[in-house]
Amino acid sequence: MAAAVRNTVSSVLHHHHSSGNREDSPHANQPPDSNSTDSPAMERARDDEKQRLAHWEDHKSPLSPDQIADGGDERVVGHSSRVLRQDDFELIKTLGTGTFARVWLVRLNSSQPEDQNKVFALKILRKVDVIRLKQVEHVRNERNVLAVVAGHPFITTMVASFQDHDSLYMLLDYCPGGEVFSYLRRARRFNEPTSQFYAAEIVLILEFLHEKEGVAYRDLKPENILIDAEGHLKLVDFGFAKKVENRETYTLCGTPEYLAPEVIRNTGHGTAVDWWAFGILVYEFLVGQPPFWDQNPMKIYEQPRPLSLRHVPEARDLISGLCTVDTSKRLGNIKGGATAVKSHAWFRDIDWDAMYKRKTHGPIVPHLRGPADTRNFDEYEPESAEREAYGGEMREKWDEYFRDF
Amino acid sequence: MSLPPDYSNEITALNREILKAKPSDVLQFCANFFLRRLESQRAEFLLSQQHSSHKGGGMAESTFPGSNPFGTSPSAGSANSGMHRVEEEEENDTIASPTQATFAQSDMEKPAPQQQGDSTFGNFAFGSASSKSSRAMPPSAPSAMDHQSFPSNYNMNRRTSVSAESLNPATSANDNWTPPYHQKSADQQNRLKAAVAGNFLFSHLDDEQSAQVLGALQEKPIPTKGIKVIQQGDVGDYFYVVENGNFDIYINKSGKLEAGPDGLGAKVGSVGPGGSFGELALMYNAPRAATIVSSEQSTLWALDRVTFRRILMDSAFQRRRMYEGFLEEVPLLSSLTPYERSKIADALETKKYPSGTTIIKEGDVGESFYILESGSAEVYKRGVDKPVNRYKKGDYFGELALLNDAPRAASVVSTSEVKVATLGKNGFQRLLGPVEGIMRRNDPSKAGGDGDSVDPLAKGA
Repeated sequence: MAAAVRNTVSSVLHHHHSSGNREDSPHANQPPDSNSTDSPAMERARDDEKQRLAHWEDHKSPLSPDQIADGGDERVVGHSSRVLRQDDFELIKTLGTGTFARVWLVRLNSSQPEDQNKVFALKILRKVDVIRLKQVEHVRNERNVLAVVAGHPFITTMVASFQDHDSLYMLLDYCPGGEVFSYLRRARRFNEPTSQFYAAEIVLILEFLHEKEGVAYRDLKPENILIDAEGHLKLVDFGFAKKVENRETYTLCGTPEYLAPEVIRNTGHGTAVDWWAFGILVYEFLVGQPPFWDQNPMKIYEQPRPLSLRHVPEARDLISGLCTVDTSKRLGNIKGGATAVKSHAWFRDIDWDAMYKRKTHGPIVPHLRGPADTRNFDEYEPESAEREAYGGEMREKWDEYFRDF
Repeated sequence: MSLPPDYSNEITALNREILKAKPSDVLQFCANFFLRRLESQRAEFLLSQQHSSHKGGGMAESTFPGSNPFGTSPSAGSANSGMHRVEEEEENDTIASPTQATFAQSDMEKPAPQQQGDSTFGNFAFGSASSKSSRAMPPSAPSAMDHQSFPSNYNMNRRTSVSAESLNPATSANDNWTPPYHQKSADQQNRLKAAVAGNFLFSHLDDEQSAQVLGALQEKPIPTKGIKVIQQGDVGDYFYVVENGNFDIYINKSGKLEAGPDGLGAKVGSVGPGGSFGELALMYNAPRAATIVSSEQSTLWALDRVTFRRILMDSAFQRRRMYEGFLEEVPLLSSLTPYERSKIADALETKKYPSGTTIIKEGDVGESFYILESGSAEVYKRGVDKPVNRYKKGDYFGELALLNDAPRAASVVSTSEVKVATLGKNGFQRLLGPVEGIMRRNDPSKAGGDGDSVDPLAKGA
């Protein structure tokens, strides 16, 4: 597994080699949990790193899918940092929580006054919880996938990742618009142009993930899609994303309402699950709730498929093509792949090239007071103070699994 | 009587705009001005409300509803009250984006819809739609929705992701894993078969998988009454079938078993011989939706998730690898990439025929291609009274049907019960396009690039 990890160890931000050669980095051998008695050289390296972080967006211009897939020198993001620490960031507010992770809005603690207003989203995962919930493999997949997809216009950018003795950190770009989920529930449903716009950006994401990176995302839903300052989408939470390439995978994961039939039956699944979920998503955009639902989750899986599409006459053909039980007939998975989806009549008004280049604003542009405005995020309970310690045998057994983080 | 200050502010702003723009069509200008103001105010309101209305609400919690295999749910009460409101709203609802002028009319009427703060819907403004606001709204076009069947009790909270243990077939092959086998009498076997027959999770199993799953069920004696087999709120790992005895089902509205005499919650039913419970645990790690307590001495059969899913995975994995291996042997398909081969393997359909079945018939139009997965078959040609060939596992036939509509050149008749994997021309083309295109990759005269290329594009290069 470790051999498959790409681009994980270079700490030299601007020289991001796909070879993953440790010798590139002057600090590669620094233990990640080095304490505050850093050498002056270490301090300098941290300061340099923080300055680069502060200005990562200065170099940002939309890369083409091929440029991202090459993972070459165009990118200044997605590396594993050996010098960053949690106290390089000031935690401002919780943006979201999961069973073993919490995402914070953070401000860069920089010695440069002009860089102190730089904000990020920092996802913090406790190693103990990751291990206890058997999510080690998923967390490794998440970090590695985010590293290779960094730079896509509609995917959250992992600027860097790092770790200390008991936690893993992913430094992400902050997306101030909040979740599409919140807007959808509030609006009840989206009108057709809005649904088409968002759906089109998702198609571009899936096309890239599947066809350039061989990655299945596996948890598409409105909760995992954020709106950025210009109203464009950002896909976040790659906890279940996995590089599958031409091999099927078997671990059941996703969200009950969005699970493809082949995932439920455990017959092996691949990127086609995202096209199923995409059909459910378009349905939920247009109708306000997903087509399969019951208080009892087992009943969701038993519901008759194909689904009834009388509520979505405009997109009926698209959704029925996507939500086809037989993967050998499912739109997106059949000949043409994403191109077949893009050329569907429901997308006839979409200019795909302009879409990728973000030439127009999104249908909902969030009102923001500034780059660190958190009004579009919900309030979350504070983190519980008690925390299981990570160390001893557990650490001995598991730390090597986190080595490349 | 003085004018409302909000009104005065709007008029002052309009006056400024008029002075600045000096419009020729004053009425149109004013209309545009107010429309713009309305949109922006609604958008502002929407966002400010979103910002302020989620203090400590259920939004941030993982509140996936129910997970209840018994039909009644602890959250049914609040969901019902929500259903009523949603239905009301349905009446005057037009499809709207939050920035459209038709959006949030009802919210404007009641800027603080906090009355249902304790319900699952308390965080959402749409719940505040009321008959009062619908009267205040301009009549909108009737919705095309079918109100009768529109599922309106949907839980609007964030949905929690679920996952099962990481299963990796590559390592399981190395482990040489075989499912556990627990001996059962023929009677027990039949009872178990009947007990799971109606269960969705077992309905897709083939005979072999079914035999493995039934074999893996392990007897679990429950020596006395009062034993809690599963506890509401606990992590679920096992599915149970009742062999004999009886169990009561309790649900505590809090969502989990609590201490004290009423900790079980209300009894909602019971389950006896042939019944089963805990099936969601076969899918993923989810909290138990109820507590199950024995009401007498009983016997259960138990099956855990990892065993169940591994049986399914291993047989699917082996079948796919077998199909891919077979496909590699077909010259017509030799230029498929591994990715394409895996797609075709995924699309192959298994069919079973009894001995003596004519699988393809000489002279018929060929539509499908076959791989013999198990059993044997013989090939006959008209005018020859002996079989011209014999097929065994891994042999394939009818592949020319993928290429053209030529009639079958021979008949293939099974000489034992056979299992074949088959794919039609349509299915093949749907996945990969015409097979001719794939064959052409191997043909140097069509590949282009060298001196005697027939590709006009290659000449310019």
